[in-house]
Amino acid sequence: MGNSKHLGLYMLAPAFLFVIVFFLTPVLLTGVFGFTNMSTATGITGGSYMVSQSSMQALKDRHDLSEIAKKLSQVIYTIDEEGLNAAAQEGVDAGTLAELKAGFLGQSFQKRRAVERAIKSLDNRPSSTRAIKKLSALFERSVLNIRYDTEVDLFAAIDKFGLPLSVAEKTAMSDVTYTGWVFTTDNFKRMISLPDTMTTLINTLFYVFVTLIVFNTGFALVLAISTHYMDAASAGFFRSVWLLPRITPPVLYVLMWKWLAWDTGFLSTVLGPLGFEPRNWMLDTPANAWTFIILINGMVGASMGMLIFSSAIKAIPSSLFYASEVDGANRMQQVRHIILPQLRFPILFITSYQTLSLLTSFEYILLATEGGPGGATEVWALTTYLKALSNYAGALEYGYGAALALVLVVVGVFLSILYLKLFDFKTLTAPPKIE
Amino acid sequence: MRILLDNFTKSFGKLTVIDQMNLEIHDGEMIALLGGSGCGKSTTLFAICGIHKVNGGRILFGDKDVTNITSQERNVGVVFQSFALYPHMTVEQNIGFPLKLRKEPVEQIKRKVHEIAEMVHIEVLLHRRPGELSGGQQQRVALARALVRRPDVLLLDEPLANLDATLRLEMRSEIRRIQQETGITAVLVTHDQVEAMSMCDRIAIMDEGKIVQITEPRDMYVNPVSDFVAGFLGSPPIAFLEGRIEDGKFVEPSTGVHMPLSADVATANNGREVRVGIRPEYFQPGNGAMIKGRVSFIEAQGRETLYNVMLPDGNILRSIQGSHSPVKIGDDVEWGVDTAHILIFGQDGLRI
Repeated sequence: MGNSKHLGLYMLAPAFLFVIVFFLTPVLLTGVFGFTNMSTATGITGGSYMVSQSSMQALKDRHDLSEIAKKLSQVIYTIDEEGLNAAAQEGVDAGTLAELKAGFLGQSFQKRRAVERAIKSLDNRPSSTRAIKKLSALFERSVLNIRYDTEVDLFAAIDKFGLPLSVAEKTAMSDVTYTGWVFTTDNFKRMISLPDTMTTLINTLFYVFVTLIVFNTGFALVLAISTHYMDAASAGFFRSVWLLPRITPPVLYVLMWKWLAWDTGFLSTVLGPLGFEPRNWMLDTPANAWTFIILINGMVGASMGMLIFSSAIKAIPSSLFYASEVDGANRMQQVRHIILPQLRFPILFITSYQTLSLLTSFEYILLATEGGPGGATEVWALTTYLKALSNYAGALEYGYGAALALVLVVVGVFLSILYLKLFDFKTLTAPPKIE
Repeated sequence: MRILLDNFTKSFGKLTVIDQMNLEIHDGEMIALLGGSGCGKSTTLFAICGIHKVNGGRILFGDKDVTNITSQERNVGVVFQSFALYPHMTVEQNIGFPLKLRKEPVEQIKRKVHEIAEMVHIEVLLHRRPGELSGGQQQRVALARALVRRPDVLLLDEPLANLDATLRLEMRSEIRRIQQETGITAVLVTHDQVEAMSMCDRIAIMDEGKIVQITEPRDMYVNPVSDFVAGFLGSPPIAFLEGRIEDGKFVEPSTGVHMPLSADVATANNGREVRVGIRPEYFQPGNGAMIKGRVSFIEAQGRETLYNVMLPDGNILRSIQGSHSPVKIGDDVEWGVDTAHILIFGQDGLRI
């Protein structure tokens, strides 16, 4: 018997492992990624340093170093040992090179024509224009679009380019030229500054609470209470009917709604003779889109509440119904004074569970409207998915998406705590005082 | 208020539980519906309060036909076996619930609740919830809730079954006291003959959906109409012997016991096969008709002692004796039956 007290732990070990690998780790990583600027551009491994058009634009915008940016964006021509050596290798005449070295070593030219003019001024100049152009090309110096593995390499290159940088300028430089991801709080700043964020937030609140109140709790209660007062056979029938959407594969379920709403679908066909133009009823207007989204989710969501509430009503002793009946309570009063007070805990459970589940579920919206028309039905979870994992341009912003997801996690936790306080969870789960 | 069941019939699906029952309950009377489980006593109660719809016949409260009136409109007070208190309401809200549903003014509800709480002695418990009450206190609350709106009839469905033995004794007299104080017509459904006999003015004993006998408790004990009634009332129960009437005597063939019978019964039924019922208090040492047997079981009940005496053919007679005698299990005894008090039943079970 001594060993068996650890048996439970051993048996739960695989579960713990799965929780850690498939739940805790992703959540933690989301928290970490939310504070990075990871995207398809940065990759998820380390990056390099590169002066590019966009990094120079950033240098101008963010660090107000437009002079340096302008210079680094240019190509210059410098007569240096490296160039001379390269030319010697190419087989350029040694006399030409010696003369070039003597007259121009260390000089820089802004324009190609200037360096060509310098070559032409030599006594031992190459004969053809083509050779001059070829030679001048060997002295072309630029830091544009070259990847440097470390910032030391980058600064060395810039130094050689003839643009010594101060310490502050170096910091700014490495900031704008780094192509890998970095830790940053910019995601959240961006989130707050974007007007789309507010729209998405309002969409989400509207979607969650309308679906929750009208269907997942409200309509579920109506179903549970009305089937409670039916005879067993019809009650069973009605409950099974409402379970059908739940057991239909989501893709098929949404496809049927689409068939209903398409411009050649059921609604258009039926309404056509009545003088309505055929149209895509689902994506016609934002109001229509929302109606469909809430119906699609509600029809599925109501069944779970209905089951929970039905079984909770069944658990109320029938003598309480008898007692209230002889006390003079009609059905409405029974619902108000007997059923609803007894359903406090199930209602709490369904409300909080479905709030969280609706907050994070976007599969029906993705399948039905993809957030359309024009982003009118884009909710937070869907935005997160589109930003981080799927968009047309193929530029996936993992960091920003993770930041969006992180907000969802925080909101979820906050709401759970609020519900528990609101419904007085402790007294609800206290051991019963009556046996 | 007088309650009348007139040819009341109740069936569940194809099963007829109660067929054409007639019962009149007088105004202010407390009547017991007594019977074993499945005899239809609770069904009758649920029909009176309107929870069950009747399938035939009429139910009258006073002169008013309430057969097709819903229970909400019948003005009955019911105490359920489980008390059926609303767990989420305080005692005060529980008692005031029927009044609240009638939309009586708040002040009036408060006054009435306090009055009735005083009567059932729970005025200090008004702010508790049912979960914080003992069984007896819950019982009193249920009683108060049933009484608070002055119902035409108080219906009690096994009200003492969920209480422990001492509480049961206390609540027995409390319910009776309150019923008599209010003068309300009351129906008590019970399977316990002691409750029925101690609390009620009359007992209607039921078997298989029929009222077998309805009379006052003492009369029912002394003059049962059938062996079923005789067997149901009395604790410890009556013992039966089978035999025949010969020459003015009851003869038990296996033991040859003779018991002289009253002349008119004996001559009218000479030669008939009968069962005689002998209550334990009438089988005592020193009585007239002696019977030999062996003591098979002794149960000391404190003030009295119960002896089971096995006759040679295996039949058992019971004797309850006030004084403790030195008899032990296995002893042979020869005690006598008080033949003036034996009950004689025909083969059909009916009293002769």
